Amino acid sequence: MAAVADTARPEALVPAGRRIWNVVRLHAANPWPSLILPWIVLVSIHALTWTIWAIISHYAGPGIEEDAFRYAGGVSWLVIYMMIIAIQAMNAGFRFALGFSSTRREYYLGTVAFFAIMAVVFGLGLGLLALVERATGGWGLNGSFYAPAYLYDEPFGVVAFHYFALYLLFTSMGAMIGALFVRWKAYGLYLYFGALALALVALVWWLLDAGWGPVADFFTGNPLAVVMAWTLPVSLAFGVLGWAVLRRAPARG
Amino acid sequence: MTAIIEATGLSRRFGDVHAVDGVSFEIQEGSICGLLGRNGAGKTTLMNLVTGQDFPSSGAVRVLGEDPVENARALTRLCFIKESQSYPDAYRGRHVLAMAPRFFPHFDATLAARLVEDFGVPVNRMIKKMSRGQRSAIGAIVGIASRAELTLLDEPYAGLDAVARHIFYDRLLEDYAAHPRTIVLSTHLIDEAADLLDHVLVIHEGRIEIDAATEDLRGTASTLVGRKADVEAFVAGREVLAREHIGGIASATVAGLSGDDRARAASSGLEVTPVSLQQLIVRRTGGATPAEEVA
Repeated sequence: MAAVADTARPEALVPAGRRIWNVVRLHAANPWPSLILPWIVLVSIHALTWTIWAIISHYAGPGIEEDAFRYAGGVSWLVIYMMIIAIQAMNAGFRFALGFSSTRREYYLGTVAFFAIMAVVFGLGLGLLALVERATGGWGLNGSFYAPAYLYDEPFGVVAFHYFALYLLFTSMGAMIGALFVRWKAYGLYLYFGALALALVALVWWLLDAGWGPVADFFTGNPLAVVMAWTLPVSLAFGVLGWAVLRRAPARG
Repeated sequence: MTAIIEATGLSRRFGDVHAVDGVSFEIQEGSICGLLGRNGAGKTTLMNLVTGQDFPSSGAVRVLGEDPVENARALTRLCFIKESQSYPDAYRGRHVLAMAPRFFPHFDATLAARLVEDFGVPVNRMIKKMSRGQRSAIGAIVGIASRAELTLLDEPYAGLDAVARHIFYDRLLEDYAAHPRTIVLSTHLIDEAADLLDHVLVIHEGRIEIDAATEDLRGTASTLVGRKADVEAFVAGREVLAREHIGGIASATVAGLSGDDRARAASSGLEVTPVSLQQLIVRRTGGATPAEEVA
């Protein structure tokens, strides 16, 4: 027995940085669902929306209001889609990575790194599309697809940061839900939805009590960049909670 | 010889169920050890504990002298292939094989490519659309080609046909001969794998029932067949593990026959055959029920 202890203590066969990067690569091994498909769907929805805009402006004629096409919601599905990607990555990816001799810590760091990289890619990508949108006079129809509503007047940096922060918020929530499921299966989800329901009740209670004033003030009184910056600590909290749950999760079943 | 796995008082409880119940054992470096037992005996749980995928309720296990939980020093040297391995939803066979060299530093891609041919795995198919056998083959390929110092294979050939199983045994032994390592193999097909194993751990209801070298086990029991009266006369006063009779012919399985005993049995007209590993284990862990035919 002692002989083993003497010869042990060599370094891990793969250095730590590589082990974490391997997990990033694991998530991107088939980039189709996380990196390619969303863009295809997005462009398709955009094309469909543009067609509807074209039909409307054709029949409305020159008298159409300037902001008629400013409130498209064709990008909003992305955050829910990404949350589901995050849940799936946690569920199957966790057990796969542990089956491939990863530690939980490496898996979680690699997964967070993957989502952070994705947040940058989607933030920049949607920001650039918003630039194109402006350069082309709203796709020739004065339409706002990538920077609608409250994003309409914001500069590139704020649009990109907005999507980046939103993406992080939803993937970190997805990662936490996934971690709850991996650790406690269905009971983890009961816990999540129970906590969510309580939080909503508490929120409504507080709103009724304190009034909408402070909340409305927060959203209208602060610039968008500040409002979005406030999601970062929330995302961080989800991320930390996810790790707290996952670090003792077994890779069974 | 040094122990590559050491378990002391290792337990894992799920509520009232003692899946692994205070087991202590060692597995020696370079061994091909069979982890045998019935469904639900605790084989997979034990392997999960050894590879740090699950946490012990009490006791400890050391792999290469270290606690395997969250320990990259131990984990990067081992490869655990389990029947129930899950793969990311979007994975095709080739994605698994592309990832394996990153995680298993000794992985041999040339060997893996050859094994893909041997098993005829459709590597471009989505994993979730593969048959059980094809998924098992992917696992077996990764398990053999990763050449990890410690390779654990949990039911590696569930769903594989007899031909594919023999390819598996051949390739595993061939590669083991060229690149010695420690292999722990759990299986139901005891007799099929018996020639491969140099050591056997039998787990029954969470406890280690047998921990012995395969050689030693083979001699521990024999079956005597002959006329009922002769058999009865011979076995009187001995430990009889099992007996059957059809008409006037009887057979009895007895423990520990010496050379003299065999000669005496033969001279009294009894046929003496060694008990196969499978029969022996069936008798020790389940009484009269026939061996499970799960493949």
